[in-house]
Amino acid sequence: MNARTLRGRIAPREAGAAPLDVVIAIMAFLAALALGASLIADRAALGWREGLSSRLTVQIIPPEHGASAKLLDDETMAAAGILKNTDGIVSVRPLSEKDTEALVEPWIGSGAAIADLPLPRLIDATILPGAKIDLGTLSQRLKLAAPDSLLDDHTRWIGRLKGLADRIIWSAYFVLALIAVATAATVAFATRAGLEAHHDIVALLHQMGAHAGFIARAFEWHYFISALLAATVGAVFAGILFSMAGGLELAGIEAVPFLPPLSLHVAELAWLAAIPAGAALIAWATARLSVLTAVSRIY
Amino acid sequence: MVRFENVGMRYGAGPEVLRDVTFVLEAGSFTFLTGPSGAGKTTLLKLMYLSEPPTRGLINLFGCDLATAKRAEFPSLRRRIGVVFQDFRLLDHLTAFDNVALPLRLAGRRPEEYEKDVDELLGWVGLGDKLLARPPTLSGGEQQRVAIARAVVGRPDLLIADEPTGNVDAEIGQRLLRLFGELNRLGTTVLIATHDRALIERARAREMRLIDGRLVELRTARA
Repeated sequence: MNARTLRGRIAPREAGAAPLDVVIAIMAFLAALALGASLIADRAALGWREGLSSRLTVQIIPPEHGASAKLLDDETMAAAGILKNTDGIVSVRPLSEKDTEALVEPWIGSGAAIADLPLPRLIDATILPGAKIDLGTLSQRLKLAAPDSLLDDHTRWIGRLKGLADRIIWSAYFVLALIAVATAATVAFATRAGLEAHHDIVALLHQMGAHAGFIARAFEWHYFISALLAATVGAVFAGILFSMAGGLELAGIEAVPFLPPLSLHVAELAWLAAIPAGAALIAWATARLSVLTAVSRIY
Repeated sequence: MVRFENVGMRYGAGPEVLRDVTFVLEAGSFTFLTGPSGAGKTTLLKLMYLSEPPTRGLINLFGCDLATAKRAEFPSLRRRIGVVFQDFRLLDHLTAFDNVALPLRLAGRRPEEYEKDVDELLGWVGLGDKLLARPPTLSGGEQQRVAIARAVVGRPDLLIADEPTGNVDAEIGQRLLRLFGELNRLGTTVLIATHDRALIERARAREMRLIDGRLVELRTARA
């Protein structure tokens, strides 16, 4: 006697279940894409906020009646001095005229056009993370030392950026939630459809005196494994796609200019494992509940 | 062992298929249930193997009143009953061996404990060379013998068989009757629903006849 025959599975392998597995795999793929997009949006938004909230910019604006380069240089040096002596500011870097021209070059171009423009002098300061700086007092001190100075802590820009980032993140989460619900419904539907086809087996086992828990166990692990495998295939494909996007970016090919990188970090890729785990748990719970319900309806 | 008192049964709003059925099966008895097709034999068996509840009347099984018993008690009652279904109800994806071993698996026994018993039993019913065959590859008679082996393998307290020799030749029918007789001598109460007059005459056992849903006692054992 072949030992394998002694432990034949009470729940049969599904001859016609391949299409359902394909549907689960596709839904898992879409869910993994949505999850990956959410993680990218979250990371990008955090990066924008952190990047800007740790910076201060002081502009020395040329007066309307015009001013000599020396006066602007003096005011720039004075303002830089104030910034350097302010607690919580870790670095101060006055931008040279060349640096400033390089900043506006993408919009205006180079050459004679820039030379005629009254470009402000810029000082870039970096704040110690978590440091609390009284911006009102600092602004007054700067005005005293450099009357044409203007302190910009990016509050307005950060506020708008934060709003945009929040909208992107919540949109991504909403799409993720929709796909998660659709995936859960698909897995549950596939599981129930599979069980419907085996109602006669459930009824026979019940008739032979099997407890509801025994019958449920005979089926639930089968559906757990099937959903786990199918959803893993979908999630792995999504992971490969994100990794390919990362590879292109490493090779210097930006998928979408100005947008954050579309690749996922290793730790973020690990989150994709939640998709097959979730699908398997849903299949397990659906199978168990369906069998227990079916058995309870039999006399 | 089994007591029916004024049992009636109807499906939905249809007519009564069993009317005021009253009888007792003593422990260790051997009984045939006969009657024309549609007389209600299968329905009576269903009530006895706890597949359907009666519409009215009392059924007492192994000393347990089914009307007042808790549902949680039913699985243990069902495990004391071996059933040969008219349509066999074998699991097509399992081998003949695994189909026969199913009641033992449900009882929590380990394969190494029952492997020899199942092999021997399948040999006894003439399927020693088809242990690994799956039901779809077996003939109707072979499937019936697998179903019988499954019903008796756990030495149930009560064996209920619905037309167990309907698809086998006379020689195999005799062999199966000896199997039922042997089981009965070991203490199992046996109830066989059949049209097979030859089988009934050979066994010389008690016969109950159902006519139009009513039970008639035709012959007591060894009469």
